Amino acid sequence: MGPLDGLRALEIGDGGEVAGKLLADAGVDMIRVEPPSGARSRQTGPFVGDIPDINTSLHYHYLNTSKRGITLNLDEPRAQELWRNLVNGVDLVIDSTGPDHLDQRKSGYQACSDHQELVWCSITPFGRTGPFRDWKVTDIVSMALGGPPMSSGYDDHELPPIRSDGEHSFAIAGVYAASAILAALWQRGSEGVGQLIDLSMHECISATTEGAFANWEYLQSIVQRQTGRHASVDLSAPTQHQCADGRYVLLLGGGIPRSRASWEPLLEWMDEHDAADDLHDPKYIDVIYTDPRSHAQERDHVADTVARFARKLTSEEVYRRGQSMRLPWGIVRRPEENLDDPHWSDRNFFVDGNVHGHEGVVRYPRAPYRFTSSPVGMRSRAPLLGEHNTEIFSELGLQSDELTELAITGVL
Amino acid sequence: MSGYAEHGQLPLDGVRVCDFTWIVAGPQATRILADLGAEVVKVENESHLDSMRLGLQQDPSNPSINGSGFHSNFNRNKKGISANVHHPDGRKAVERLIAQSDVVIENFSAGALSRMGFDYERLKELRPNIIYVSMSGFGHEGRDSSYVTWGPTAQAVSGVTYMSGLPDQPPAGWGFSYLDHTAGYYGALATLIALHHRRRTGQGQHIDMSQVETGMVLGGVPILDYQINQREFKRIGNRSLRPSLAPHGMYRCAPVGTDDDRWIAIACEKETQWRAICGVLGIEHLMNDSRFSTNTERVEHQDELDTIIATQTREHDQRKLMYALQAVNVPAGAAQNMADKMEKDPQLRDRGFYQTAPHTELGVHRFEGFPAHFSQARWRLDRGAPTYGEDTVTVLRDMLGFSEAEIKRMQSELAV
Repeated sequence: MGPLDGLRALEIGDGGEVAGKLLADAGVDMIRVEPPSGARSRQTGPFVGDIPDINTSLHYHYLNTSKRGITLNLDEPRAQELWRNLVNGVDLVIDSTGPDHLDQRKSGYQACSDHQELVWCSITPFGRTGPFRDWKVTDIVSMALGGPPMSSGYDDHELPPIRSDGEHSFAIAGVYAASAILAALWQRGSEGVGQLIDLSMHECISATTEGAFANWEYLQSIVQRQTGRHASVDLSAPTQHQCADGRYVLLLGGGIPRSRASWEPLLEWMDEHDAADDLHDPKYIDVIYTDPRSHAQERDHVADTVARFARKLTSEEVYRRGQSMRLPWGIVRRPEENLDDPHWSDRNFFVDGNVHGHEGVVRYPRAPYRFTSSPVGMRSRAPLLGEHNTEIFSELGLQSDELTELAITGVL
Repeated sequence: MSGYAEHGQLPLDGVRVCDFTWIVAGPQATRILADLGAEVVKVENESHLDSMRLGLQQDPSNPSINGSGFHSNFNRNKKGISANVHHPDGRKAVERLIAQSDVVIENFSAGALSRMGFDYERLKELRPNIIYVSMSGFGHEGRDSSYVTWGPTAQAVSGVTYMSGLPDQPPAGWGFSYLDHTAGYYGALATLIALHHRRRTGQGQHIDMSQVETGMVLGGVPILDYQINQREFKRIGNRSLRPSLAPHGMYRCAPVGTDDDRWIAIACEKETQWRAICGVLGIEHLMNDSRFSTNTERVEHQDELDTIIATQTREHDQRKLMYALQAVNVPAGAAQNMADKMEKDPQLRDRGFYQTAPHTELGVHRFEGFPAHFSQARWRLDRGAPTYGEDTVTVLRDMLGFSEAEIKRMQSELAV
């Protein structure tokens, strides 16, 4: 049983897939409503075998697990009527079609206001109000305006600010939307009323730049992007280093241990490779305990020596042995490399599923949390285009000949 | 402002959270719960002080545990008590708090709360339907659960760092602890899911979160692609590979005063947008250039195209160019730094995103808002973070039922 079993929902638009997935994977019966031509992400690769097909996008598969799928052409009055009937039977709607799109089709929150307990979450690039409400965005534009790229990139500012791959603007907004929806449903449970949530992606991203905010508000300082580490007002020591196997590791805090319990094993390890240089000199112990702004010379020397040492080893060794002495060091992995790490098998992080058009089992990431008594994670693969039309419209009382007619006339 | 009345209930009114979190990821989770109205009581002790209390200081020359604006932003709206769980009376206070809480949440290394005497079994004795959310780097279950992470460590291992950067350069990663935000967001969401589950079934549970997992879910598509198409992930910089679009990137603009680090993001999804870009940038002749006549051609000649576009944008003011491009329906946005967002962004201003609240020692400051408006509810910004132990007396007296005399004695014995 999923923790959110019993809740029913509709998801419409291209910007709410993450919110829909998070809730569906937790048990909400989430019906994805697409135009008859299919959602935008169906056109987005990669595809199975790199052959574009409306039903084989991996992008669509990943973001639409556990959902059922139907088609509706909301330009048609009959489809608008069916939509409103569907809305009457659900607890919540995730609408990312834009501030006016559904209103213009008699299908918006106001048109459905007879349903007093409905929670309707509008996810838009900027919110439903304000001077930018109708502006055009893609992921890179949303991220640029929200701030993460100006903190991310390289020491060399001839190189541009970097927007990470992975459509993070939708990921960030999606998790905020899911939380806002559950908060509104919680309130409904106490007070019996639903409501409209106006969620702005720009605000979600703007709240996701960590220390840059306090630096400006409290010190009127702007942080500067640096290669592979935190942006800061003053240049800091490198933390990302290339090992002997060509791969990168992260030595947090310049590789300087934060306790004696890590410092001594680290020196022993370095001794095995004759790499400790003069670090046994007691004067270097102080760098563990003191403020990063003091002992600058000693800190730099320790960081340089540790980095020189790490660069001579393999990345896996630096990572594993560093962690064995409780150093918060990491190996820079490609996302797919975690498939082979047995720790994630211990946690059942990857769960077996399938992808339409591909033979055999495919392992999906579970969910970003492990519930110990009510399982959360993929329940079913993403729907094919219109896969559940018959099932769901039959629930509304439509007969099969009517469904055929609606399909032929372009309503479904 | 948004046009919505900032009135009504706090959605999570009545939910109480016993909050052992520190640094960033945990406080980010409880910040969301507190913004939405949960009563969040932070339990602290100087013997393992939240190092973010000594983080970015309003007065760097005079650091204090109550002087961090960074800490205040992540811990606003919360109550703060100091309690020493190794003193019998301090422990009693914390036990009473747990017994009256719906949720216990922490982001220590795996096993730390258990060593403090509060494993899940003990929490359940104190409150049978408790929701216990643990947020460690690698989770409580699994062979590497003792591994220690900060945000950047989890970013490296999860794949998030690798995914960010130029193809011919080392990974750029994220210039902040993105996964502290992310783990916090998912922590708040997990708590809400579990609250709904408990309302329906009466059952609490332990939610075992791993910060690395919160990063791995962000790489789901490459993980599927590798298994199905045997393709290893490759960085693409600021370009758009799927869908394949050009122009698409971050282009340098004219300096603003002495600041020569101004950039604009431009994307082109349609032919109409391509023609509009050519018009605004004064490169109409490219519309008839066969190298750029279709998206496919432009992708093919993207290096040349980017050079031409960057030469043009370099002559333009970043913000004026953004407005000019948006006026002709081209997706374009200034790469904003924090000053831009807080002082120059008319959208954030119109929506009232940055609001002010007092902090007992730091005074009145702006805070980041909650990114959603509710038609029948409000989020709140009552005050900044509690100073160390600021609410110890009121929480012990009014919530936990200790007498003034008991509290005085507990304070004198450093139990609280």
